[in-house]
Amino acid sequence: MAIVDIFLLEALLNGVLLGGVLALLSLGLNLIFGVIDVVWICYAELIMLGMYGMYFLYTVYHAPIVAAAAVCIVAVAVLGVLLHVLVIAPLLGAAPINQLLATGGVLFFLQSAATVLFGIEFKNLGLRLPVLKVAGMFVSYSRLLAFAAALIGMVLVYLFLTRTYTGTAIRAIAQDRQIMPLMGVDSRRIYLITSALGGGLAGLAACLLVLQYDVHPFVGLSFGPITFLICVLGSLGNFVGGFVAAFVFAEIIALGGLYLDLEWGYVFAFAFFIVMMFVRPEGLMARRS
Amino acid sequence: MCRHRSSRLAFALVAAALALGVVWTPAPFAQGKKLKIGVVYDYTGPFAGGGSELHALGAKIMIDYFIKKGGVEGYQIEALYADAQSKPDVAINEAVRMIEQEKVDMLLGFYSSAECVPAAARIEQLKKFMWITTCISSAVLENRNLKYVFRTQPSGRQFGLMSADFVAKNAKAKLGKDAKDLRVAIIHEDGAYGVDVSKGNEEGAKKAGFSIVLKEGYAATAPDLASLVTKLKRGRPDVVFHTGYNPDITLFLRQAREQGLRFSALIGHGAGYGVYDKLKESLGKDVNWFFNVDPISIWLTNEKALKKELPPMIKLIGDEYEKARPGTQVKSAHVGMSASNTYVFMTEVLPRAIKKHGGIDAEALRKAALEVDLPEGGTMLGFGVKFLGEGSPMAGQNDRAFPVIVQYVDDKPYIVWPASLQQREPVLPLPGTSPYAAQ
Repeated sequence: MAIVDIFLLEALLNGVLLGGVLALLSLGLNLIFGVIDVVWICYAELIMLGMYGMYFLYTVYHAPIVAAAAVCIVAVAVLGVLLHVLVIAPLLGAAPINQLLATGGVLFFLQSAATVLFGIEFKNLGLRLPVLKVAGMFVSYSRLLAFAAALIGMVLVYLFLTRTYTGTAIRAIAQDRQIMPLMGVDSRRIYLITSALGGGLAGLAACLLVLQYDVHPFVGLSFGPITFLICVLGSLGNFVGGFVAAFVFAEIIALGGLYLDLEWGYVFAFAFFIVMMFVRPEGLMARRS
Repeated sequence: MCRHRSSRLAFALVAAALALGVVWTPAPFAQGKKLKIGVVYDYTGPFAGGGSELHALGAKIMIDYFIKKGGVEGYQIEALYADAQSKPDVAINEAVRMIEQEKVDMLLGFYSSAECVPAAARIEQLKKFMWITTCISSAVLENRNLKYVFRTQPSGRQFGLMSADFVAKNAKAKLGKDAKDLRVAIIHEDGAYGVDVSKGNEEGAKKAGFSIVLKEGYAATAPDLASLVTKLKRGRPDVVFHTGYNPDITLFLRQAREQGLRFSALIGHGAGYGVYDKLKESLGKDVNWFFNVDPISIWLTNEKALKKELPPMIKLIGDEYEKARPGTQVKSAHVGMSASNTYVFMTEVLPRAIKKHGGIDAEALRKAALEVDLPEGGTMLGFGVKFLGEGSPMAGQNDRAFPVIVQYVDDKPYIVWPASLQQREPVLPLPGTSPYAAQ
């Protein structure tokens, strides 16, 4: 007789791996909000464009996968900068709802542009990574990669923000957008660096998601809403909080889905989110209200 | 290659224009009688790539054919295309807009049952004629006694019953188990389509005496199906009945492989399982030996059993399909389905309504539809047509429609059920070369 339920262990493991995917998604979005104080509603669409980039570079132009990934990360980082320069910067002083609507407009623009440019067909790399078998459980390599990337990404971003001059400036701007420019910090430059970093993280997420999911113009719909919930749950702008919230959310989904219908996992996760909004409206890891 | 690219670009531009709410209308006919058809499919959104766009192509091929012919019985044909964007509310709004603003005489198309169920009620309310080419949920018609809504397709319940019947008839001989010892799992997307097919699966499984180890729905947009796969592993089903769109099908199969799910057979029910090329692209050889329930592909029908005017039409549709999608490996049954169902309307309903019932209003079209009486072999899909009338719980449903089961073997689909149409013996259980094969 088994001492532990292998299926429960597998569900827990799946929760951790899904948490890695969600954490990866929330990383860049949290960084952007934390520094620039603007929510990129179109964040998942940037990821979608990165996934298309991977598809074309790897499948159509037969670029080595690592080179394709590097190009995509840089390309989406550039898109992040463009998004900031063209859409966000002119609205920095506007009401938050205007900023939200503007990035919402970009979301629909990108979806429609992708439909025109790439068509509506589902595309994928056609890559099937090996599967690890550990103690009777199966672990997906692609998810393991996403998990590792999220972990490493978070550590690197943390080190960058705490150990470098630019990182310190970014944190300073995040703490007080009005005062820091008076103290000599070039806020425009900091915003551009942050946008590039946020875009680069979206590019990294794209490179790893395309190993697990088909890409189509509306793939962002599967991830966008849940990513925002995680960022809010972890405290918008706090990427460590987002990281923790991603795993909490993913485990609720995994375990709820194991013991009840799959949909109940999401019901419990969203119910938990609503309750937490009452109990801790600033988010799980809020440092200040 | 160039032609392929330009046709894709042209399609993409049409899709984008539709996404922006622009209705494309061919050059208007200046004079004479005219039938204005509002054609509603999903040209954008997840359903588009899941099969809707192929249905739209089939319907368009047929409509263009009749436009080029100069119309039907003195009526010229004008088509207005609208994009439901894979959203039920948009489907309803577009249908209403077509009727109230574009003044269409009837509506044709509808891919998703989730759109079809509410749209049918609204169109009926507006007393317009609705010719469904695609969506299969019983809920569209069941116990609603709709007067102006007609569907030539078999219902989702029939899909579910057929796959259960197929397994029951092959359980002992192929799987070496009595039906009562057979473990089956029923998983489905949780919209009207998946729910209806799963009800048929369940009804058939209970009738056959199978042990149902899991019956569960999920959202087609769910980003993760790992827990569902874990539960399936716990249930150890011999056969998995699956109803989904795409990309949920590929997500499920990818995660099933990665998590080591094993079974003896997987039976899909239309939608994403009907688009072999995409399945192959996503899953490679893993898709070998899977089954799919759908109306027969017009390219697999026995031409000798069809009315003599149908084989040339099948060839024409195939040629147009090839022009629009050069290099397609396996012609999707989806294109043929909507083309055939549109053809039935153009050749059986419309001429009768004009000649016998004096016009093209909803009442005349309804009377004409109810009088259609085609025996088996009367359509490109092989089945006949006789609609159930008022008073029937499924009023508007073609009582003579039936699906078939195909098995994909080495990049070719073969009809394996029903026995009367069988092209080869089904391969059961999954051969050991499949990564899903039960050990």
